[in-house]
Amino acid sequence: MASILTLESLTLAQGNRLVLENIDGQFETGSITALVGPNGAGKSTLVQGIMGVLRPIRGRVRCEVPNARRAWLPQQLALDLTFPMSVEELVMTGCWPTHGSFKRYGPAEYRRGQAVMQRLGLQAFEHRPLGELSGGQRQRALLGRTLMQEAQLLLLDEPFANVDAATVEILIDALRDMAADGVSIIIVLHDHDQLRRLADRVLLLDRGHGTWTTPAALENRPTAQVSASLAHASGSTPPTGNPA
Amino acid sequence: MIDWLFSPLVDFGFMRRALVAGLALSLVAPPLGVFLTLRGMSLVGDAMAHAVLPGVAVGFLLAGFSLPAMSFGGLIAGLLVAGLAGSVSRLTGHREDSAIASFYLISLAAGVMLISLRGSSVDLTHVLFGSILAVDSTALWLIVGVSSITLIVLAAIFRILVVECLDPLFLRGQGVRGGAVHGLFLGLMVLNLTAGFQTLGTLMAVGLMMLPATAARFWSKRLEGLMGLAIAIGMFSSTGGLLLSYHLGLPSGPCIILLAGVVYLLSALFGRYHSVFARWRRRVQPILPPDAHG
Repeated sequence: MASILTLESLTLAQGNRLVLENIDGQFETGSITALVGPNGAGKSTLVQGIMGVLRPIRGRVRCEVPNARRAWLPQQLALDLTFPMSVEELVMTGCWPTHGSFKRYGPAEYRRGQAVMQRLGLQAFEHRPLGELSGGQRQRALLGRTLMQEAQLLLLDEPFANVDAATVEILIDALRDMAADGVSIIIVLHDHDQLRRLADRVLLLDRGHGTWTTPAALENRPTAQVSASLAHASGSTPPTGNPA
Repeated sequence: MIDWLFSPLVDFGFMRRALVAGLALSLVAPPLGVFLTLRGMSLVGDAMAHAVLPGVAVGFLLAGFSLPAMSFGGLIAGLLVAGLAGSVSRLTGHREDSAIASFYLISLAAGVMLISLRGSSVDLTHVLFGSILAVDSTALWLIVGVSSITLIVLAAIFRILVVECLDPLFLRGQGVRGGAVHGLFLGLMVLNLTAGFQTLGTLMAVGLMMLPATAARFWSKRLEGLMGLAIAIGMFSSTGGLLLSYHLGLPSGPCIILLAGVVYLLSALFGRYHSVFARWRRRVQPILPPDAHG
């Protein structure tokens, strides 16, 4: 399969603190890669580096996907939940790559928006303000926006944190479908069960360095390093600290 | 009653000009205020209203009580403070609101100092609190021009402002520079503050921006609703405040803003959402038995 994203000796820092050093790797079309590591290992930093929000100290990110087709679901707190916007309006903002700031949404876009909301079980809440949604409903609405965006590269930062079990199932199914459609997904995970069900490959981050492995290999290697990164209980996630 | 409402407008040209100026400002200032509240920048508007003062003062010192000169000076001072605050924030990593607070205080002191050096206390009162008598045709054209430009620019950047308010990271991910949008928005705000000071005064101009916007939040949870209501409250306050100012012989700026303040207080007490009454009503509702929830 073709590689759409390549990391070449990528070295990233937050302020004066070096967080990741010499990360290498290739991400293929339609693959799901899990980023795993203890709190502060640099998972969110790597996501920021890939999205181009954080400039590398050394090395580089080569991405074949244009900006408009890269989607990023940061940790939930990044979103202003007091904003007076409905689920449907949030999902429709995913038309940005094709419609930008000026072009009016047509009936075709609204029909696609309805289909996306139906796929994610959001139709019952389509007019509900964002501030009145549960964590799971909000996460589904955000994934709906990326589906509208027709993203080719999707980065998710702990998407299952504070999300109910039913929503986790809906999200896992939707992500699997997206990968089957050729979307490359990079996802920060903390749960062994979710990792096994979702990821093709794993990039284990610890103390500034990255190790490539597979979910199966990770399961058979229960070192202290892995235990600190993953919880075993299905549908649960360890408490999250500040993003690295 | 009808005579009370219409006779000042029929009889006096300055009242008609002031009314048109007030309505034009009410069409654009409250929507800007809605965005300010949504961006968590309510007090930044207030700070910027103070920041335009030295520019207004320099305009006044150079050209006397000339609205174009004072407005131009205010615009330059406001943009300068916004630009300096943004630069200090970027260079030092400090929050932008604290940088704006620091610069507006310096700016306000400089403005009062400049006016005191050359003008009388009457001049200072005009600049700080506005005067409907001073809205001549030139001033009216300037205010209507600023309102039209603001309306067009706001319509053009509306979607990008909404997306930037809601989720700035999404916009950055799309390769859009949020800083440019933010700068344009601050520019619009300064432009409206300088246009509004003629009728409302530099200290009161921000009131027409913020009070309708904060009052509207008690009545609507939708962006269109907030915008529409804020405009309606702004227009009501402008018209009512002008009439009160005429009939009671009071300064126009405080009358307009106090009327908007009354609407805000009533909204906070009896509004549909999050008001004192709405919270009280929610508390006294009985808790349904589990099977009643379906």
